[in-house]
Amino acid sequence: MANRTGTAQRPNGQTQGKICQFKLVLLGESAVGKSSLVLRFVKGQFHEYQESTIGAAFLTQTVCLDDTTVKFEIWDTAGQERYHSLAPMYYRGAQAAIVVYDITNQDTFGRAKTWVKELQRQASPNIVIALAGNKQDLANKRMVEFEEAHAYADEHGLLFMETSAKTAMNVNDIFLAIAKKLPKNEQAGAPGGGGQGRRLVDGDTGPKAAGNCCK
Amino acid sequence: MLGDQNELNVVQSKFSSNELVVAVHTNALLLEQEGWVDNRRILALVKHEFSFALFVILSVNIPPVSFSDLTIERIIPLDECFLCDTEPIPQDYQNIIFNIYYKTLILPFKVEISTESSNFASEVITAKEVKPVEYKDCIFAWLDKYKDLDKIVMDLNEKLGDFPLTRQKNGQGQGISGNRESFLKYQLTLKEPEFTHQQEFTIFIGTWNVNGQPPTALRKWLSCDEEPPDIYAVGFQELDLRKEAFLWNETTREEEWQKAVMEAVHPNAKYRCVALVRLVGIQLVVLINSKHYQHVKNVAIDTVGTGILGKMGNKGGVSVRFELHNTSLCFVNSHLAAHVEEYERRNQDYHDINLRTNFRRHPLAIRDHDQVYWLGDLNYRITDLTTDQVKYYLSKSNLEPVLLADQLNQQRILCRVLQDYQEGDITFIPTYKYDLNSDIFDTSEKARAPAWTDRILWRGKGIYQSAYRSHMEMRISDHKPVSALFKSQISVIDQAKYRKVHEEVLKRMDKLENEFLPQVTIDSTEVTFELVKFREAQYKDIIIANTGQVLAEFEFIRKPNDTSYCKEWLRITPYIGCIKPGEKCDIRFEVNLEQPLEELYDILVLHLSGGKDMFITVSGKCQRSCFTTSISTLCRAPIPLLNLNPDQLQHAETQQSPVLYSVPRELWLLVDHLYRYGLKTKELFELNALNEDIVRIRDWLDWGSLDPISVPIHAVAEALLLFLSYTKDPIIPYHLHDACIAASSNYQSCKQIIVQKLPDLERNVFLYLCMFLQELLKHSNENGSDVKTLATLFGDILLRDPVRNSRPQANRGKASFLYHFLVNDQSCLLIVPNNK
Repeated sequence: MANRTGTAQRPNGQTQGKICQFKLVLLGESAVGKSSLVLRFVKGQFHEYQESTIGAAFLTQTVCLDDTTVKFEIWDTAGQERYHSLAPMYYRGAQAAIVVYDITNQDTFGRAKTWVKELQRQASPNIVIALAGNKQDLANKRMVEFEEAHAYADEHGLLFMETSAKTAMNVNDIFLAIAKKLPKNEQAGAPGGGGQGRRLVDGDTGPKAAGNCCK
Repeated sequence: MLGDQNELNVVQSKFSSNELVVAVHTNALLLEQEGWVDNRRILALVKHEFSFALFVILSVNIPPVSFSDLTIERIIPLDECFLCDTEPIPQDYQNIIFNIYYKTLILPFKVEISTESSNFASEVITAKEVKPVEYKDCIFAWLDKYKDLDKIVMDLNEKLGDFPLTRQKNGQGQGISGNRESFLKYQLTLKEPEFTHQQEFTIFIGTWNVNGQPPTALRKWLSCDEEPPDIYAVGFQELDLRKEAFLWNETTREEEWQKAVMEAVHPNAKYRCVALVRLVGIQLVVLINSKHYQHVKNVAIDTVGTGILGKMGNKGGVSVRFELHNTSLCFVNSHLAAHVEEYERRNQDYHDINLRTNFRRHPLAIRDHDQVYWLGDLNYRITDLTTDQVKYYLSKSNLEPVLLADQLNQQRILCRVLQDYQEGDITFIPTYKYDLNSDIFDTSEKARAPAWTDRILWRGKGIYQSAYRSHMEMRISDHKPVSALFKSQISVIDQAKYRKVHEEVLKRMDKLENEFLPQVTIDSTEVTFELVKFREAQYKDIIIANTGQVLAEFEFIRKPNDTSYCKEWLRITPYIGCIKPGEKCDIRFEVNLEQPLEELYDILVLHLSGGKDMFITVSGKCQRSCFTTSISTLCRAPIPLLNLNPDQLQHAETQQSPVLYSVPRELWLLVDHLYRYGLKTKELFELNALNEDIVRIRDWLDWGSLDPISVPIHAVAEALLLFLSYTKDPIIPYHLHDACIAASSNYQSCKQIIVQKLPDLERNVFLYLCMFLQELLKHSNENGSDVKTLATLFGDILLRDPVRNSRPQANRGKASFLYHFLVNDQSCLLIVPNNK
């Protein structure tokens, strides 16, 4: 008589909405503020001297939309050029990407464009890409014009915002804009469906050729 | 032995005699599962020889009465992946959370703070600490027999290493995210008061056994109250007594009675039908004031027949369930077994209806609803009193002695039926059995005793009954209808507040989840080796410290397009492992250079299961050595390799050197040394040298020295073998191997390959070696060498496979090939370059 299946539900389904899980990757030149954007978004903090990321940091954060809840699994990658070849491990299978540049540094904008190109060529075909012109608080030292970046973003179908991890300007907004743009059908949002993108190297289904090199 | 001895014995009886139940905790509430259904678990710590496992057990009864009450739900081996701790519950001084962690699994149990729980926890902790033997899978082999059980979490089969640590694990298993949805629901339920308020709804419940009569006007029954109720639940029994209805469940009466109900509802409100359900003659309709209709959701119905054969629909129950705002409601109309003496059958019918009612898409049993209203012709009679006695008391308006003789009251007191339901005080006379169209109790021959067969009960919070009555003026049936009016508290969600709480809970979960991600620091992300030399291993250690709050499972993982997690010159020990919070692990990187590389460079990816990745850059300069340099370059090097200036080196490499030796200087030095000092040595090529001697020979050759080297002669012999084994290309190029093996039975064919196909320098080296080996064989009476052994040893080296020993079947052919050159004189074949 007692329900032992443990599957009973609370009757508050109507308002709860569903939770969609998405993999999001941050890319861009080193020191443009990728980790700072994530830290601001996830923890609401800012460190003037953020350590350089050597690897790929992982954090999660949920945003609530009107009808759905979007959980981001965020991979914050190392920006240094020498780690470039490892980036596919993180953008492969990602449903969203934020390509970050520093508005006070024209080179970083150029680098951002090559990232966009790489993503459009190699990442999932329907990846949602946002371009973030960070360090907006240093607008007096601006080297990349808003209009220029905006036009570039429009041309390539990217979301675009100028952000400041320091002042928090547009930080939540850019994640929210991505959340809104992501498709929320069952397939994309099912737990494990979205998360599947975390598979490291494709063809990784068989036993790994680990240990071979030890001899 | 801990826990109540009885309980312990019951649990022990579930296990075999060599599986000793050390301790049990009988009332642990599993928080991750839905907190409000049956989430009670028995925890049992079981010992087998030297290993322990924690069994999570479901029980029909708490405490368990018999081993058949128990179902094993999960098994968690107390191996190195097992952790447990306790955490307080804010503002709760009675209970504590006992957390069990196993890899990515977390099971939080709420337990009462008591001797039982603290003893149990300390037994588990002690069992975990006891580590008499290394954790090996085999010591948990006794758990294998439980593997077939569903839902068992026993990760023995997924031991690290058998399968790649796939990243999809991150998404699901880590921390609280594993059961994120249910954790969220649970948290929201705890906070329900913050975003809901109670709103009073009036519910009119009516039940009437209509004895197969056609409908009549029902307004006096259904609209007897001044105010219109918000909800009607009207149940009929014996709607149609004809055979067709019984056999085929077909009747026109359903529609007729439904129409009669709709015509009779309160005139001061508009009603919409939530659901209508019928099984033969048992019909239930639920109506709601139209203004509330939009707040009704997840409506489901079910019918259960308990009549003839235990299944037919002449008796049984029909149910309607739905959610109104945030409260789940269930209405059950039942017609239980007839006849005075059949009260046990009626109890059984009640249990069957509970057991068999299934709302499919809404997996809730009747009793799992917030509010349940149970109505119907329950058919319980009055016993212990004669019909006359009953009628006597009734005539005196003395209901009390009659109610005491009511079977339903008696059975409820004995907890045999509707035990956790409430019923209002009965102030009306029995509703059965009347002569048709009268208010007179049965005057037929049978003269059945009057009985309160028609009843309304309820269970759940916030329900207040304001009326419970019969309706004497309804006379078409042998039963009188009964009705009850309830004021019920329905939980209504405030959307704005709900959103806020929902978001807060999610934020808190994110925070927790991020806090419980595995975290480690490494003392260096750059591993730089000093000058790396051939055959001279070097190592560097880094320290990984678990600075997080959970077990850190780390693994060096493969990069895209790589075949392994590191290059062949590197060895990482351990490359995979687990570090407990607060603990450290040394990782050793060892290089052993056997390739002609100028520098070492690789980026390693250290992955934390369920967490971040770290990159470690390994680099180092390599020192050139003759051992890994091509014959062509060596023959063109005018001076020892490490004394060459860059120009000389480049010229030697691009064959533009003014110098060309017939064989490499280094080869000549080795062979000459063996010729001078080794011809009479026994087992010349069969003893292993010390690596330090090999290193000395390497430096002697690479830097050049006029002095003869003083190392054991065996070391020089081994150095010669190494030299021939590591030259950039084999002395006989790969593409000629098959031809050599094919020709191996015929000396002339072999000779032809050497003369015609082999490049000059390689031919020189080959013949030079053969001549030396022939010289060695001349002294075989002293040094004990024999031609077959030498042919086999050098054949394998001179014709070495691209991947070492990848074709062992070819060894015989290689030996036969070389054999010819050890037994025939071919000094005439040697070509001496012009310039030297």
